[in-house]
Amino acid sequence: MRIPVSKALLAVAAAGLLAGLPAARAEDAAGIPAATPSPAPLNLPPERSWRLGIALGYGSRTNPLIQSQDIPVLVDVDIAWFGKRWFFDNGDLGFTAVDNRFFTANLMARVNSDRAFFSKTNTKYVSFAYAAGGLTTTAFSPATGLPITEPVPIKPPKRDYAVEAGIEMLFGGEWGNATLHAFHDVSDTHDGYEVSADYSYRWTTGRFSISPTVSASYKSKKLSDYYWGVHADEASLVLAPYTADGGLGWEAGLRTSYYLTKNIRLAVSANYERLQWDIAQSPLVEREYVLGYFAGLGWQF
Amino acid sequence: MAVLKTLTLSIACLLAVLPALSFAAEPPVSLVVKPLLCVLDKGATSCMMTFDVRWKSLVAAEYCLNDGGQATPLRCWPSARSGDLQQQRQVSEEFRYWLTPATGVERLAEVKISVLRVDSADRRRERRARHVWDVL
Repeated sequence: MRIPVSKALLAVAAAGLLAGLPAARAEDAAGIPAATPSPAPLNLPPERSWRLGIALGYGSRTNPLIQSQDIPVLVDVDIAWFGKRWFFDNGDLGFTAVDNRFFTANLMARVNSDRAFFSKTNTKYVSFAYAAGGLTTTAFSPATGLPITEPVPIKPPKRDYAVEAGIEMLFGGEWGNATLHAFHDVSDTHDGYEVSADYSYRWTTGRFSISPTVSASYKSKKLSDYYWGVHADEASLVLAPYTADGGLGWEAGLRTSYYLTKNIRLAVSANYERLQWDIAQSPLVEREYVLGYFAGLGWQF
Repeated sequence: MAVLKTLTLSIACLLAVLPALSFAAEPPVSLVVKPLLCVLDKGATSCMMTFDVRWKSLVAAEYCLNDGGQATPLRCWPSARSGDLQQQRQVSEEFRYWLTPATGVERLAEVKISVLRVDSADRRRERRARHVWDVL
């Protein structure tokens, strides 16, 4: 892993300086004794391979699909494992191919996240009647010419999970963290790709930390159309056929933490995602955005 | 009926001994330190902190306050039942404050000051979570 050379040098320099200073004794002092020099250089234990955590609280993520329910978030589990090369991070599997002082390049496998919206859907029935000149009469199916007598169901179509493989480039420094991603379907589900970039910066003052994030992603036509298009066999009187093109979406988020102890923190986060234009225009989409928020207590084990 | 009587008697006994139990639970020497946590992020190697250290004892005696950074006590209080001290210091690693009798090394009470590093030298641990609700 990346070696923090500057920090190590600073620590060694600090240790050298401190070794020459007399030990401060405040036995007889009243009030605030003079500032005691740092007793030792930064000497934290090595990071553990496992990262386990849980957050309990209340949150929600809106579902942009028609006939769908928002996704409640009451528990968030964080499970990650980092080896020298291989790692697992909350469903993402990675292999570190390159790691130097400029960037880290990982080969990745993941499950597409668009599918998550299609799990919380329900069916609505619509009765059809044609109104003209103040009179209501029976509507006829344009496909068969027969009268529509039964209510027609509206339900988002089913979509499958897609396994995607790709590359991830991580950059980081005093200026913040940035990531570039490129993923392609390898499960023969949508056969499309997604390219994205994100940037975040964390300010920490005392026990409080705040981290804004911005990102943009381009979803290819195949990916967009598979999840958000209305395919010929799915079109009906209430769901017009639609082909979604590729396009650029963006999102912005804010994560804040207040550390109560080394392992427990209060956490509040919010995220706004603007769907790419062609997805937002789909008959399957009711809202052109996804808004998520969560507030709760997090434990890091 | 007998069960009810036994239950009532048990509750009465419990209520009678509770004050004694709570008294017994009180530690003979207590030490309270604020704050308890130093949070370090990118570029930071230490926190400058002002500690408010307060102690009290059921028995008046000579007590000394120590910390992990020095071999000698920070301060000793002759024949006291309580004391306080403010100390400003740079913290870069976990350490403890503890109280001892003037003679002896037995730790009568101690408090740990923790250091939490929120960044990582491993860029993979700074990966942005893809899930909006991922707050950890």
